[in-house]
Amino acid sequence: MHSPLKRFCAVILAGLAVVVAAPVLHASEILRGLGPEPDSIHIHQAQGLAAVNLLRDLREGLVTFDERGDLVPGQAGSWEILDDGKRYRFTLRENARWSNGDSVNAEDFVRAWHRAFTPETAAATAGLLKDVVNASEVLKGVADVGSLGIKAVAANVLDVTLAEPAPWILEILAHPVSYPLHSSGMDDPLRAPVNGPFLLVDWTPRASIKLTRNPHFHSTDSMQVDSIEYFPIEEPAAELSRYRAGELHITETIPAGRFKWLESNKKEDLRVYPYLGTFWLGFNLRDSTLGYSTELRQALSLAINREILVKTVLGAGELPGWSVVPPGITGYEPARMEQSEWSQQQREQEAVRLFEASGLGRDEPLLLELRYNTSGIHRRVAVAVAAMWKQVLGVNAELINEEWKVFINNRSMGVVTQVFRGGWIADYADPSSFLDLFLGDNSMNYNFYRGADFDMLMKSAAVASGRSRMELLQQAEARLMQDMPIIPLYYYVSRHLVRPEISGFAENVRDVHLSRYLGVKSESP
Amino acid sequence: MKQAGVFRHAAVRLLGLIPTLLVLITIAFFLIRIAPGGPFDAEKVLPPEIRANLDANYHLDEPLLQQYFRYLGQIVTGDFGPSFQYKDWTVNELIARGFPVSATIGGLAMALAFVLGTLIGTFAALKQNSVIDYSVMGVAMLGISIPNFVVAPLLILGTAVYAGWLPAGGWDWSWQRMVLPVVTLALPVVAYIARLTRGSMIEVLHSNYIRTARAKGLPERQVIRRHAFKPAILPVISYMGPATAALITGSVVIERIYSIPGLGSYFVQGALNRDYTLVLGVVIFYGIVIVVLNFIVDLLYAWLNPRIRYDEAQ
Repeated sequence: MHSPLKRFCAVILAGLAVVVAAPVLHASEILRGLGPEPDSIHIHQAQGLAAVNLLRDLREGLVTFDERGDLVPGQAGSWEILDDGKRYRFTLRENARWSNGDSVNAEDFVRAWHRAFTPETAAATAGLLKDVVNASEVLKGVADVGSLGIKAVAANVLDVTLAEPAPWILEILAHPVSYPLHSSGMDDPLRAPVNGPFLLVDWTPRASIKLTRNPHFHSTDSMQVDSIEYFPIEEPAAELSRYRAGELHITETIPAGRFKWLESNKKEDLRVYPYLGTFWLGFNLRDSTLGYSTELRQALSLAINREILVKTVLGAGELPGWSVVPPGITGYEPARMEQSEWSQQQREQEAVRLFEASGLGRDEPLLLELRYNTSGIHRRVAVAVAAMWKQVLGVNAELINEEWKVFINNRSMGVVTQVFRGGWIADYADPSSFLDLFLGDNSMNYNFYRGADFDMLMKSAAVASGRSRMELLQQAEARLMQDMPIIPLYYYVSRHLVRPEISGFAENVRDVHLSRYLGVKSESP
Repeated sequence: MKQAGVFRHAAVRLLGLIPTLLVLITIAFFLIRIAPGGPFDAEKVLPPEIRANLDANYHLDEPLLQQYFRYLGQIVTGDFGPSFQYKDWTVNELIARGFPVSATIGGLAMALAFVLGTLIGTFAALKQNSVIDYSVMGVAMLGISIPNFVVAPLLILGTAVYAGWLPAGGWDWSWQRMVLPVVTLALPVVAYIARLTRGSMIEVLHSNYIRTARAKGLPERQVIRRHAFKPAILPVISYMGPATAALITGSVVIERIYSIPGLGSYFVQGALNRDYTLVLGVVIFYGIVIVVLNFIVDLLYAWLNPRIRYDEAQ
């Protein structure tokens, strides 16, 4: 008997069953949070982390990353370093192919680089390749794009020539800006072939990005996962809800302030790893008070109890910071300040001594402005720091909170700033990615630090190589910490939630987790 | 309502749109330019040669007035230009993709709010000053006072995380993903409409013609439906014009909490990123929606209220 009423009830019940059934995560498909919407899916326009991470799954450069974020051969099967580190000769893999089956040629790289450097392309990330011969001349339009230091020597051999040795260039070659471009000249992954582990199947802006395995990718046989769906979720709290509702396998981050709850409720899923980034407070050395006295800056640094800061104010596994360069770079030991070994009591006594030596005292309290861009974490750090300064040195700090663009504008002008929030995340895993910021002629030197010794050490490091280069960089960093244009506060960590059945998500200081290494461990509930 | 009067009224209103929009565009254009920083200012400073290329690409190297007139010329052809932040899209495309989403959620929320709000309001008015009246209106008051950034996470926690009935967020045009945002968006509006309806319904129920209708012996249901309802929802209708405009152009809070690709976030994100073209595009679009909806409200008003007739007003 099929009365309309019965049928209606059946439909309703079926509908409810669909709704009530717990979401099922398919074994061969991994669902990942992506953070914000990618700013572009074009190799020469992509800038933000979300876009770069997405492109790393769709395409591949000469070099790529392994599971642990270390550099391994990508489209190039091997390379030689020639001319004292000024020339790199890459031999492409025999099985390097585009997704339509065409082989990837040296010419495809030359084509892409030429386009990146054409002024009309206006590629914002082209600056990463600044060490390539004639890079800035071509960008300025004063040299022909053909004079750029990249040349196809043979169909599968490519030469990259640098103006100065730059050991970090290999990592730049893993960045989208140096990816190859198919001979069709198009780089829209929805229409043109790609050369990475996955193909872009569907893109619904701000909702979902679907990828499926590229059968022509050179290492496709070693891949476990068939498809990936990325969800751009701007709000970390929303991402957490969707993770808890079983709609994601891997999150891009965790919301600030939920760390303790997650630690006691989702301990197995929580992945907190050291990350190549340092948070610091910068001094504007053009300021008459702060620029005048190194003792004062040292005192302000020592008065801050970093252990309390990372444990109670931040509390998500961050480590106390005593150097500009964070730990974790192979072959480099950061030049940590000697006071890092002291007890906080010793540091505070020394802080008071230095403070008085700088000619200041508790009788005439110093008034400082501490400026930061609007953010819960920054505010909490600023409040804690101000309280510590007040308690140890009697310094009054006025907290000034500014909208992001206003803040960076003020910081780069250096007119109203005194102490300000700063920090850096490595562009590439090399100390110079951090130390270059403090060169006298760097446009991001918001401290207006002019260290003749520091600049000289950096200059000698630039022409050195191997271990002696690292030693010179370490000396430069030690010098920087003596002059103290900034107060390092803590080293960043990367934070993800990863379902226990997911494999291939390994600890890594670059926080690069290519989807090709991911897999699902057997059938788990 | 006489035809000619309506058309004349419509024509005047639509012509009035042009100077309104021009003022709006001009203020918005210069206001966002006064704000410190630009679309290409970021943590990492771009090398000067790259910055120059970018500025030239987006005509930011031209004098401001020239940019203004260039922009006006562009809008006349209906082109809002490329977005600075979402580089793969033009502002027209972003609005064309975002508006249907926001309009669906906002439209459904308004429909839900109108039906529930007027029902609750009428009900409360009929039981004026009774326990039912107070409790219903008390609940409505709660609906107004609890902000949606509190309601939404609670709804997600209850229905998605613990019960697993509905998805916690995201968008794919399925009704399951619409339920929570629509309900969250509708709640404060339900409460507001209920209060408006109750107030005016009480007033109407005390008027002479209702007394006459009752004296004629009409059943109470007919009195309400035929005579009281239309005049009682007049204040609701005038409230609904701007309220609908606000709902269908998207709410940044709802969009962030439920990860919905609507229009609301563009307004805020665009302003924060100094995405000049996107902010202006959304402002202009919003302006047009408001003017059009107010116009529709006027027409509805005239239809509902015998005291307003545009031909007589001329």
